[in-house]
Amino acid sequence: MRTKVLIAVALTLVAVGAVVGLAPAQSGKVVKIGDLGSKVGVFEGYGKYQTMGMTLAVEELNAKGGVLGHKIEIISEDDETKPAPSVRKAEKLILQDDVKLLVGAVSSGATMAVMDVTKKHKTIHWNSVSCAEFMRTTKFHKHYFSNQPDSRMQANGLAKYIVEKMGKKVYIFYTDYAMGQSDGRQFKTALEKLDGEVVGVAGAPLDTKDFSPWFSAINEAKPDVLFLAFAGTDSLRLMTQLHSFGMTKKYKLAGIDCFLLQQDLPAIAEPMEGFVQLNHFSAFNPDKAMQAFNDKFKKRWGHDANIAAGAYDAVLFWAAAVEKAKTFDSDKVAAAHEGMCLDNTHIGRQCIRKEDHQVIMDMHLYRVEKGKNIPIAKISGSDSIGAPMVGKDPVEGFTWELKKKK
Amino acid sequence: MDYLTVVLLPQLLHGLVFGAALGLLALGLTVIFGLLGVMNFAHGELYMLGAYAGIVVIGVTQSFWIALIAAPLLVAGLAVITEVTTLRPLYRREPLYGLILTFGLALVFREGARQIWSGDMRRILPPFTGSTPLLGMTYPNYRLFLLAISTLLLVAIWLFFTRTRAGIVVRAAVQDAEMLDGLGVNVSRVFTLTFAGSAALAALAGLLLAPVFTVYPQMGVEMILLAFIVVILGGMGSLGGSVIAAFVIGIAQSLLTLWMNPQRVAIAIFGLMIVVLVVRPRGFFGREGVFE
Repeated sequence: MRTKVLIAVALTLVAVGAVVGLAPAQSGKVVKIGDLGSKVGVFEGYGKYQTMGMTLAVEELNAKGGVLGHKIEIISEDDETKPAPSVRKAEKLILQDDVKLLVGAVSSGATMAVMDVTKKHKTIHWNSVSCAEFMRTTKFHKHYFSNQPDSRMQANGLAKYIVEKMGKKVYIFYTDYAMGQSDGRQFKTALEKLDGEVVGVAGAPLDTKDFSPWFSAINEAKPDVLFLAFAGTDSLRLMTQLHSFGMTKKYKLAGIDCFLLQQDLPAIAEPMEGFVQLNHFSAFNPDKAMQAFNDKFKKRWGHDANIAAGAYDAVLFWAAAVEKAKTFDSDKVAAAHEGMCLDNTHIGRQCIRKEDHQVIMDMHLYRVEKGKNIPIAKISGSDSIGAPMVGKDPVEGFTWELKKKK
Repeated sequence: MDYLTVVLLPQLLHGLVFGAALGLLALGLTVIFGLLGVMNFAHGELYMLGAYAGIVVIGVTQSFWIALIAAPLLVAGLAVITEVTTLRPLYRREPLYGLILTFGLALVFREGARQIWSGDMRRILPPFTGSTPLLGMTYPNYRLFLLAISTLLLVAIWLFFTRTRAGIVVRAAVQDAEMLDGLGVNVSRVFTLTFAGSAALAALAGLLLAPVFTVYPQMGVEMILLAFIVVILGGMGSLGGSVIAAFVIGIAQSLLTLWMNPQRVAIAIFGLMIVVLVVRPRGFFGREGVFE
């Protein structure tokens, strides 16, 4: 009898224990996603906004029950704006934290290095800031997706406007690492196709403090337009210094998508006056979708959004693909992404091109007037995206050599 | 001829401006090395704190000129506290202790600045704008002012060390602190004031360069590497050597950028430093026996 009682008590305890133990597990199912971005240094502005964009998306998704019944949790890591730490952090996010989605990194060099890691571990990888041309070509893998217009898309968007409206003789000044080289190359190619003339090219290292040693060469080349492929704090310093040397008034200036964060514009309004910049998102754009997103972003964070808010869409796309695939299995989730369209992204309806996993995005051009981006042109995404080139060398036959016009 | 006036001469001017500012930073570093026998790894952070102190003072007074006096004094005050509480107890120990301590101080100052002012880049507007037509280009007046004031300060420091009693006492302390102590001079006070003076110099350089380079917590780390090279090339503890080396590096960097990838220029400068360390460890103007 005593044995039976003991067995009954033991079984009861096991049953209670099982219920108690299981209950929190069922209601607390969590899926982790990785946020790999610059937390300090030249690109920290982009990293911060990437985190904010992802957080906003996760809060919205969690409020609706998460994804496949799992609450989403973000694990953030600093990419240190360098490839080696980025690889180390990506490995940690994937192997230790078991993230099912990795968003990042910020600098192109770091993102390309991380692509090798996500390829090896078959992890869904979204890039929302980097723009080197190799990502959807030679470095492409089936788990990689991007909603940042790459250098080729940006060059197609900018070159035509510059040749038609600003001048044909262009000096290309770029930041001498993956992103700037890529932007410089693609812009030179696009400009020369349109019969423009590149009168000079020069690269300054990332995080250059004093740009004045390059100014003499620019003046000597006598360009109509100075095309600038810089980002982050480099852009701020460069514009301040160009302005102090009278070069912002001497030349027409144009720059790439990530040249200057929206938030930094008022601080250097005077040097930036008249600057033509490509921005796929701007709080100054009257577009309804952009305004709606910006209101939401501003309500949550207290200030305007910027181009790094693409990270918001990355999370939404991934969550939609997981729901569609009904699993977190990365092969199935990657397949579910292909060709997917979403209406509620931060710039309205967007679709992922099946062939190279690039989101087709309209290119918006703005001219800076009194510290604000005034929309001046729009190039449709289908015109700027270019043909898919997966596996092909996007710089084949390219040379920095100047082709002097007769 | 066009190339000379449009390209080479402006380039030379850029180099002179940068060299003069670098000289201010390197001078404090070399004085501390001469006195304490320690490479002050926190010197770059004192340069950075000078810029941030400038932002605070300008915020209160709306005056760059007041900041130019107040910011170095504030940083000098911090240096006095730092020297008395952390460096002084280590003077009788191996130089390695001082090296590790200043490395730690650098981290504390840098991360402290990040906590207080965030990592965002900040700007200090130059106290005056405008530019002057010079050598075929428009040269910013503030940069010309930077060249003038840095040169003036370098001359003033040279006069201080060679023509004033206080300067001679500091040089004597650099030569033989124990002998000076025996002669009745309060060597501890000399050490503290020299450390504070060198910190003020770094802070002044930070604030003067802020309108050109912008302000952020990492700014000191980047400049201090060049300052180290200047001190090594010029000769550890040699004031004149540091000034000459600063101008040589400033001009070389500026001119070589015309023909070489700047990263190769940086490699060349580091390569030169390695050669000097191997062939002539005391640098071009260093005292015999130092590092040899």
